[in-house]
Amino acid sequence: MKKLFLLIVCLTITLSTFAQETYPVNGVYDEREDAYAFTNATIYTHFNQKIEKATLVIRDGRIEGVGVGITIPKDATVIDLKGKYVYPSFIDLYTSYGLPELKKSDRKWSDPPVFVSDKKGAYAWNKTIHPEFSAYQNFSVNNETAKALKEAGFGAVLTHQKDGIARGSGTFVLLSDEMDNEVILKDEASAHYSFKKGNSPQGYPSSLMGAIALLRQTYLDADWYNTTKDKKEFNISLAAWNQLQSLPQIFEVRDRLDILRADKIGDEFDVQYIIKGKGDEYMRVDAIKQTNASFIVPVTFPKAYDVEDPFDAMIVSMEDLKHWELAPANPAILAENDINFTFTTDGLKDLKAFHKNLVKAVERGLKEEAALKALIHTPATLLDVQNHLGSLERGKIANFIITSGNYFDKKTKIHENWIHGQQLFISDWDHDDFGGSYTLQVADIDYQLDIEGEPGKPKMNIVLNDSTKIKVNGQLKDQSVALHFNAAKDSNRVDKLGKGVIRLGGWMQEDGKKWQGKGQLANGEWVDWMVNYKGEVKKKEEEKDKDKAKGKGKKNKKKKADKDKSADNNKEEEKYGQVTYPFLAYGWTEKPKAGTVLFQNATVWTNESDGILEETDVLIQDGKIAAIGAGLKADKGVKVVDATGKHLTSGIIDEHSHIAISRGVNEGTQASSAEVSIADVINSEDVNIYRQLAGGVTAAQLLHGSANPIGGQSGIIKFRWGLTPEEMKFKEAAPFIKFALGENVKQSNWGDNNTTRFPQTRMGVEQVYMDHFTRAKEYEKQKADAAKSGTSFRKDLELETLLQIINKERFITCHSYVQSEITMLMRVAEKFGFNINTFTHILEGYKIADKMEKHGVAGSTFSDWWAYKYEVIDAIPHNGTILHEMGVLTSFNSDDAEMGRRLNQEAAKAVKYGGLSEEEAWKFVTLNPAKMLHVDEHVGSIKVGKQADVVLWSDHPMSIYTKAEQTYVDGVCYFDMEQDLKMRTALNEERNRLIQKMLEEKQGGGDTQKPMPKPSHHYHCDDMHPYE
Amino acid sequence: MKINILITILIAFTLSNTYAQTSYSSVPIPAKPQQSTIILYGATAHVGNGEVIENSLIELENGKIIRIEAAKGGMPKASGDVVDISGKHVYPGFIALNTTIGLSEVGAVRATRDFAETGGLNPNVRSIIAYNTDSRVTPTIRSNGVMLAQITPQAGLISGQSSVVELDAWNWEDAAYKVDEGIYLSWPSMFTRSGWWAEPGGVKKNKKYDEAKTSIKNLLDQAKGYCNGKESYETKNLKLEAMCGLFDKSKKLYVRVGYVKAMIDVINLLSDYDIEMVIVGGQDAWMITDLLKEKNIPIVLNKTHNLPQRKHDDIDMPFKLPKLLQDAGIDYCITIGSGWDGFWDQRNLAFEAGTAAGYGLTKEEALATITSSPAKILGIDQTVGTLEKGKDATLIISKGDVLDMKSSHIEMAFIRGRQLDLDNKQKQLYRKFMDKYGQEKKQH
Repeated sequence: MKKLFLLIVCLTITLSTFAQETYPVNGVYDEREDAYAFTNATIYTHFNQKIEKATLVIRDGRIEGVGVGITIPKDATVIDLKGKYVYPSFIDLYTSYGLPELKKSDRKWSDPPVFVSDKKGAYAWNKTIHPEFSAYQNFSVNNETAKALKEAGFGAVLTHQKDGIARGSGTFVLLSDEMDNEVILKDEASAHYSFKKGNSPQGYPSSLMGAIALLRQTYLDADWYNTTKDKKEFNISLAAWNQLQSLPQIFEVRDRLDILRADKIGDEFDVQYIIKGKGDEYMRVDAIKQTNASFIVPVTFPKAYDVEDPFDAMIVSMEDLKHWELAPANPAILAENDINFTFTTDGLKDLKAFHKNLVKAVERGLKEEAALKALIHTPATLLDVQNHLGSLERGKIANFIITSGNYFDKKTKIHENWIHGQQLFISDWDHDDFGGSYTLQVADIDYQLDIEGEPGKPKMNIVLNDSTKIKVNGQLKDQSVALHFNAAKDSNRVDKLGKGVIRLGGWMQEDGKKWQGKGQLANGEWVDWMVNYKGEVKKKEEEKDKDKAKGKGKKNKKKKADKDKSADNNKEEEKYGQVTYPFLAYGWTEKPKAGTVLFQNATVWTNESDGILEETDVLIQDGKIAAIGAGLKADKGVKVVDATGKHLTSGIIDEHSHIAISRGVNEGTQASSAEVSIADVINSEDVNIYRQLAGGVTAAQLLHGSANPIGGQSGIIKFRWGLTPEEMKFKEAAPFIKFALGENVKQSNWGDNNTTRFPQTRMGVEQVYMDHFTRAKEYEKQKADAAKSGTSFRKDLELETLLQIINKERFITCHSYVQSEITMLMRVAEKFGFNINTFTHILEGYKIADKMEKHGVAGSTFSDWWAYKYEVIDAIPHNGTILHEMGVLTSFNSDDAEMGRRLNQEAAKAVKYGGLSEEEAWKFVTLNPAKMLHVDEHVGSIKVGKQADVVLWSDHPMSIYTKAEQTYVDGVCYFDMEQDLKMRTALNEERNRLIQKMLEEKQGGGDTQKPMPKPSHHYHCDDMHPYE
Repeated sequence: MKINILITILIAFTLSNTYAQTSYSSVPIPAKPQQSTIILYGATAHVGNGEVIENSLIELENGKIIRIEAAKGGMPKASGDVVDISGKHVYPGFIALNTTIGLSEVGAVRATRDFAETGGLNPNVRSIIAYNTDSRVTPTIRSNGVMLAQITPQAGLISGQSSVVELDAWNWEDAAYKVDEGIYLSWPSMFTRSGWWAEPGGVKKNKKYDEAKTSIKNLLDQAKGYCNGKESYETKNLKLEAMCGLFDKSKKLYVRVGYVKAMIDVINLLSDYDIEMVIVGGQDAWMITDLLKEKNIPIVLNKTHNLPQRKHDDIDMPFKLPKLLQDAGIDYCITIGSGWDGFWDQRNLAFEAGTAAGYGLTKEEALATITSSPAKILGIDQTVGTLEKGKDATLIISKGDVLDMKSSHIEMAFIRGRQLDLDNKQKQLYRKFMDKYGQEKKQH
């Protein structure tokens, strides 16, 4: 019955295990050698090694020994941990523990733009780059914040300031309540990065792509700084950056796509980041595995949505519904894929949820061993502190927790967290079980005292007879006894005991079976008393029956649990949704494959000299157009599509699109941002890709916006729905860059606060180009000179890009409206010996179509937009036709997520306005944009050997009544109208299943959150919305 | 076009010949009132109520349609001008609701914007007096078939009063077709986005939603009281005065609202008042068709050329929304709406309807969504909206199917029998530069 040990209540003295060597002592020197022996415990010495009935001996904050049969030092305080578990304390690599709170920038939108850092000192030009910030120099023990971490089982954390893109170093500290000097285990333990600008007031970067470019340039600058002997500048930031490179490099991201982005930068500069993810890694686990990165993942599992009102429910996105269900499986999926990871409490509002959520993760298939590895072992190895922490071995720091049982049991509690040999008491131990029937002798009366209830919460009663009991209150703790009761109910003896409360105080003996002491009766008389254990509490018959039934129930339950366990293997127990690619509505669960498809009897718009062929067959195979002709035969296994009455065309190509872009379409903070690239921020998880596939679009140029004269590089993609950003890239496409002219770049419509960035007039715009190209030429020469002399050279990504343009390795598509500026740019290009590839928008192109034709520039225009600003008052819908008639390669583009899915209709407007032939009008949205993007060798027409990017239309492709029935990219059917209808049904079923499950969750008392609509942002050229 | 002697007379004062002439202004000169009877012969007449008359004969006199029927026998011999339009299509002139035509000339130029008054409650503000008949944009809209438009104030909780105009006039008094026929209310959003542009927060419940709702209710209550007892009031309240039309039903209340819960809220609130309401936007209207029918509330739909509201919505939801309302028997019309492109883009109105025909409506049903249906919602269906005897001779003639871009080509248009000059600034620029380049003009 009784486990007997001395419970050590919270220590009030700091255990000075490490002497504060350099500090003077005020008073008498009081250094103690503290030794403890923890016996009879189940000890996890390592994440994968468990020892039963083991002993752990610690001395002076270090482990002296662990195992079975360990000699307990004579001076050690012995603590019996029978039934308890001991684990190494956890390690969190992602905290800001002990660092000063970040002051939020009080910058307002009305403040004028900030171009360079306002930080005083020889630091980086951009304030968000501050690798010189050292956590260890700013760290101070903070018991308040430490408390929650310690209670959650953590013993040491990595802490850094979560601000900016290059954040500086993190420091690794113990969570013990000691002097700052004593807890820092590793001063500079890590270097930290993110894509978030943070508190910097500077405009640049205002977009994700800007942040990426800034990181790249800083790597280059730091390398240049490192290798330059005769430094022209001293730069604290670059020096610090270089110094931190040998440390573990930790990168915080916002989502799964950011992981791929960060890793790509890492690959470019030979850095393998440890990535702090967002918990959505499972949504792209294959791609994420390929990064070879280790991960720090949160256990922030979303609450269910309150979906009782169907109108509320309908605004919850599919991905949010699904994520609620699948988020707890994230750790298990990572582990299954052999991805190295550790956990962080980051993002948890209440750290009490940490245990609960970990248990959830284990319930969802995370093996306990993998979970322990992530909690204990992985973080220690990632920081290279495994010699000090991460397991319980001789010589290591005594960081461990004592739990009531297996940590991954729901009911398990952490009793104590020992850090650096310092004890933190968290929750009550299991108390001794005093349950039983006793005799209580007091004032010559023999009472029957029955003790029931849970250990620690004894229910004590004096039993007078079957129906009368006297409640006894009091405490049984640490071998001492304090009881009191009112004997009024015992009317027979009230004379003897007095009216009022009788109080007994005393001590235990004989293993708790005998208690005795002194008591005071109600009348104040002192008496002796004694309690003797007699046996188990006798139960009434009916209660026995009840218990029996309960016991049976328990047994049954157990059986059921066993059954459930076996059912778990068969995956019958609970149904979970599947991960879709992309992880939103209309994503697929099985990757579509390129098939062999024969379209029979179609009207084929070849876009070749054959023109429009009636009743023609087209065979696609291995992703290519294999044959065109009449009466083509289908081999076995070929999917035959009866296209009678239908039209087959090559896929629509949108020369000017802003869909599928993550966090910012403009880096409009400087007049030139040639270094940024949309290709770095392709968002494969944009439903508009699917919607546009349904409009027959198969490829698009994702363009930087038009906020500055020299914008950013393009991302040209094929609509390979469900694949990763990298896989979507149109590999054969030429490199492009967006330029822009007119009102947007001179900030005409940005309000009165934006009147300082150069240029503010069209005159200034020309000079931006002249200046930048001149500098690029000079840069070319300096670069060549440096190469010759072998001196170090600062590679400038912006100028490199401009140089590519001059050297005809990159092509310009330029946002343009009025004729003056269009002519200007052609002349600037001619001065530097290159041509403009495309003018996009080009609404006044018709006024100088002859000049454009002579220059050899293409025009990609709107069909009929106008009047929305001053520079488009002379726009006419005949523009496309005039340009075409004048020999300019012409296309229609969308610049708009909505119009992007109706470009076939827009093409018809070239027929309506200006009377272009239908065949030529169709090329406006297919072959001509293909030519503009230099991909017409591969796509843009129905020609044998070209990539099978084809669309089957229900009707004339330019008719308003037509629908794209099937859309193929590389021979893969990414949109099929019939399939789409099936998907809608499946989508609704899945939504309904999840909604039902959420309702159950709420009914079961689970927490819920109110649904909120998620605004989906559709970018246009002049969008300056920020990216964070 | 088969040309006979009679129509050459007609052409003499219209169509191509005018193009060669020097214009007096950069917008065409408003047409003169109908002088003589005009007979349009041989075209397919799309009546606007679902009916189609092949080989039709339509007689216009004093600005009215006095005869429309299937032509029997050959070309009629009549006293007036007989125009052979065989093979072509006649439609009622389109009617655009909730527009900023004539209230906005250049979107980004503040000086040219006259549709958003400051202050939250402006029921007394009247769009008609700001209507610019000399807009360069309007001629490009009517040359695509839009003949009448509701010009509509924007912004605030109560934006002001709308009026219906004809798109060919010397001045606003001349243009007015139905003045101050409605009051526009922009229903508050149930959600707000917190933060600001540089640091956007999440979406939150609009805490001021109930407050705004109450302010609307208060205004209605006070207006009702005022309108009942204003004789005894010493001071005149222009705002409340403007609302009296709602209670005597000389005005409709147009409510901009889209989210289903908000729609239910509006309907519940307004049910307490005996006023005629119209929902503008109504993207979720298909969910509450029973309620809409019971309360007899029409819907002014925004563009079909729109993206679905939510990522998981059916990808063609905006395209098929008209069909859903049609099947439910709701009164509705299709519009371009009053967004940033709520003036110049009105010329694409027919194609918004065309798309609805691609997604379930018949072509004649689709036509009704921009002719008879908007006329009914505006309460002008006694005089316009269909090609019926006794109605205004406000109609258009297209070479091909007018709902489809690839065949829409409007050759003639009449507003109350006055034949419009369909030239516009853009056509002029087209001709100017084709001439410069010595290119053959395939169109005019």
